[in-house]
Amino acid sequence: MPDRFGAPAAEPSDAAGSARGPGRVLVAVYGTFALAAGARAAVQLATRFDEAPVAYLLSAFSAVVYVVATVGLARGGRGGRRTAVVACLVELVGVLVVGTLSLADRAAFPDATVWSVYGQGYGFIPLALPVLGLLWLRHLGEVERDAADQKSPPPPKSPKSPPPKSPPASAPGSPPPPSS
Amino acid sequence: MNTPLVALASVVALVLAALGGLSTALRRRTGLAHLVAAGALEAVLLVQLALVAVAMAGGQRPPETATFLAYLISVVLVPVAGVLWARSEPTRWAGTVLAVAALVVSVMVWRLLQLWEATGA
Repeated sequence: MPDRFGAPAAEPSDAAGSARGPGRVLVAVYGTFALAAGARAAVQLATRFDEAPVAYLLSAFSAVVYVVATVGLARGGRGGRRTAVVACLVELVGVLVVGTLSLADRAAFPDATVWSVYGQGYGFIPLALPVLGLLWLRHLGEVERDAADQKSPPPPKSPKSPPPKSPPASAPGSPPPPSS
Repeated sequence: MNTPLVALASVVALVLAALGGLSTALRRRTGLAHLVAAGALEAVLLVQLALVAVAMAGGQRPPETATFLAYLISVVLVPVAGVLWARSEPTRWAGTVLAVAALVVSVMVWRLLQLWEATGA
């Protein structure tokens, strides 16, 4: 068969390659939501902020979270992943809290947001997305750890969190300080 | 803007999504079949864009004009972005990226119709 269905795909073997594959799909979906939520919030805030300020500010907030998650996932690497994990957690909490509130207190949410009723207006994708994102990020972390185990030494720690210079002597696992 | 055209667009989009999913399942990148389907989808969307432009030039305006126009323009760009992304993706997930774009289009056209038909109400 010629190229009708495309050439055989490259099989990712290393950590970086596996970050490209399915992660790209996640980035695509996140990018879509960043755009959709952002555009929706922009229109809502610009045209009728007075009607439902809480809902519209939440829309804007969710858009920001989606943008941060998209950038974190797309950039990858240790920093990108950490950013994405935080964004996914914020998203998960947001969709659960806003979903519950929108059911309990409909008056505060006269107009829908991305997260209303657990993302019902968007096929509940907003509920599934952070879970998938966190699972994927955990998988990436495992892949990287395996790769790091194979080739020692492990990468140096980031300068942001230097190890404490004098760990407490009672810390488990730390060798006792040399006595002079 | 009418229902048959929107239905046609979403059927073509679903075919494209199926092709994308198939190439991922077969561990292949995207090929000619995907390009043809994406081209057909884009053609339908451009016809729709032209029809809407004519209707709007004739004075018809949906109530939420800003939202409507945003949907109208971005729905035409989504398949293009999907194809470009899929062509640059060397793994088998290229097809899934294209499928995501196609599914987004199939949802957006119905939302677009909804926004447009709010006119008569």
